[in-house]
Amino acid sequence: MSDIEIVESLKRDLGARALEIANPDRRRIFLKVAPAELVGAVSLLRDKYDCAYLATVTGLDRGEAFELLYHFASPVACVSVRTEIPRTAPRVASICAVIPGAILYEREIQEMFGIAVEGIPDPRRLNLPDDWPDGQYPLRKDWKHVRPAEVIPGGKS
Amino acid sequence: MLNKLTRWSRIKSPWILHLNSGACNACDIEIVAALTPRFDVERFGVLLKATPRHADVIIASGPVTRQIRDRIVRIYEQTPNPKFVIAVGACAMSGCVYRGAYNIMGGIDQVIPVDMYVPGCPARPDAIVDGVVKLLGKL
Amino acid sequence: MSFEIPIGPQHPALKEPISLRMTVDGEVITGVDIRLGYNHRGVEKLAEQKTWIQNIYLTERICGICSHSHATCYVQAVEKLMELLPPRRGLYIRYLVSELERVHSHLLWLGVAGHEAGFDSFFMYTWRDREIVMDLLEMISGNRVHYAINTIGGVRRDIDEGQKAKILEGVATLRKRSEYYFAIGANEPSFVARIAGVGMLSKEQAVSLCAVGPVARASGVARDVRKEDPYAVYDELDFELCTADSCDVLGRVVVRVKELLESYKMIEQMVRNLPDGDIAVKAPRKAKPGEAVSRYEAPRGENIHYVKSSGADKPERLKVRAPTLGNYPATIEMLKKGFIADIPLIFAAIDPCICCAERAVTLVDAANGAESIVRMSELRRRALARAKNAPVKGNAVWPF
Repeated sequence: MSDIEIVESLKRDLGARALEIANPDRRRIFLKVAPAELVGAVSLLRDKYDCAYLATVTGLDRGEAFELLYHFASPVACVSVRTEIPRTAPRVASICAVIPGAILYEREIQEMFGIAVEGIPDPRRLNLPDDWPDGQYPLRKDWKHVRPAEVIPGGKS
Repeated sequence: MLNKLTRWSRIKSPWILHLNSGACNACDIEIVAALTPRFDVERFGVLLKATPRHADVIIASGPVTRQIRDRIVRIYEQTPNPKFVIAVGACAMSGCVYRGAYNIMGGIDQVIPVDMYVPGCPARPDAIVDGVVKLLGKL
Repeated sequence: MSFEIPIGPQHPALKEPISLRMTVDGEVITGVDIRLGYNHRGVEKLAEQKTWIQNIYLTERICGICSHSHATCYVQAVEKLMELLPPRRGLYIRYLVSELERVHSHLLWLGVAGHEAGFDSFFMYTWRDREIVMDLLEMISGNRVHYAINTIGGVRRDIDEGQKAKILEGVATLRKRSEYYFAIGANEPSFVARIAGVGMLSKEQAVSLCAVGPVARASGVARDVRKEDPYAVYDELDFELCTADSCDVLGRVVVRVKELLESYKMIEQMVRNLPDGDIAVKAPRKAKPGEAVSRYEAPRGENIHYVKSSGADKPERLKVRAPTLGNYPATIEMLKKGFIADIPLIFAAIDPCICCAERAVTLVDAANGAESIVRMSELRRRALARAKNAPVKGNAVWPF
């Protein structure tokens, strides 16, 4: 299927649930859905559009909302599913039941942005160290790192 | 000159422990490449050992991440005296491009005392061999 | 070829910290847990504070073995944002270095696999040949690792006729030697028997756990970013997608060996058909607002970068997913139901970009919960001892 055919087919299948569909470049399709429709859209992509392969999940801090992008790849196109969740209620459903390989990426957004992924099979931290304090989410835009003073052995600090 | 060097090396014949404290792996591959036939650090009697209890020299690479900091200190304490530390690569010296990252302490010398610095990103195997031999000369 | 091959008592090949925790029942592994984070450097946060050009050097240092893949993937995304079209000569040089990197990475990995399977002389042979590639890369770019040949809009350095001749010569030598090793593999039944049947990952599991790269291709999943999403010059080159059907470590070795031979073919094509012209176009300092997804076939699998710009001279967000992370769920699956003794081999077979031969593995006894920490080198010794006493698997055959 070509890009245009995929876009048209998605419009037909999702109807009003597809808030926005964009095709900015060859083989790149961006689809926006509401958080409640996420699992349904992912299941549809897996079953009908051959998008069983999830490349990664990107989190973005947009100010009043967090944006999540799920990047899927089929043999003919790269479909990225976008949802927006409010900063005051950062919760999203887990897609691990549909795509088992999503577990590590969901753990990463949990610890980096503080987004609670509901239904995640394994909620532990992925990358941050064991002694990282709770409540500190490094990839949020308002989180700044203060570098501790460096000690230069045998020299001026 | 070469005879004096090889004599020193045969007398000392240090056993090396390779420590990676969160690096990108380039310096580590160059350290292992120093063992391969082209650079061959084994002709100086240097052997790569796996456990800190047998090591004389610790070759450390990488900027120190928070998670591995305690383990590095522990490995340093487990190594018996006399021991020496060589910091290989720009990351081990000061953090290289990662300075300022939230999970990085800086160079290896923020955590354990260092005796020799080998610069480069990554340090070439010849530079590493040169650093090891110079350290042997100082002993 | 008059080299002495020193075979030392211990060559812990790659060193990078990672912690494995396995639940065992006798010799069989029943549960696996991998603790990451020893290598987490906060690159994504750092990238937001550096300009577009500085980020090339930052992304390069995400990994030392496949540094060019990260830099190229990033530069591809940024060029899309800035709407730049690099000249064809620049693109050819860039992807020539990509294929050379694939060759060096696969040779490195073959050495590591040989070492893990007890075949140390193989390790020394392949790493010596890897030096040919390192010399070529140094000639083209100025450094053995972290070539930094990319710039936004093209490449930094050009290659001349003398260098082209040297590349062709080097590749011809490598091809001869590679074919010699693969013939050795065919006549060494203990090597093949050691790796056949180990680390099984069925095709359905590979698909559902989103495995990438040679690990997926060894289970029959025929996906390769160079074929399905051809970027720049790959739709002009003639090469095959390499798969295997055996779903085990032998399949992964076979896939990488085939990819090596295909890479030699591609390098020769690129050098012979190198177009004339400039090597770069000028890039603006700021990028227009937008977002771009860039995929690249690194030696270990699919590398994906997502870059978002808000019109400034620094990126708003850079997201990197390196290929080995995509293979972890599959690795956990492969380790289950395997033997403890096979852990080093299975782990090495995914070609982890964060693999340490001296990791400690924590074994938890399923029956009584007792924990013990075992070194990888100890596991390797046990594996080799066991393999020596085991009967040679009669039906394991080198499929060439």
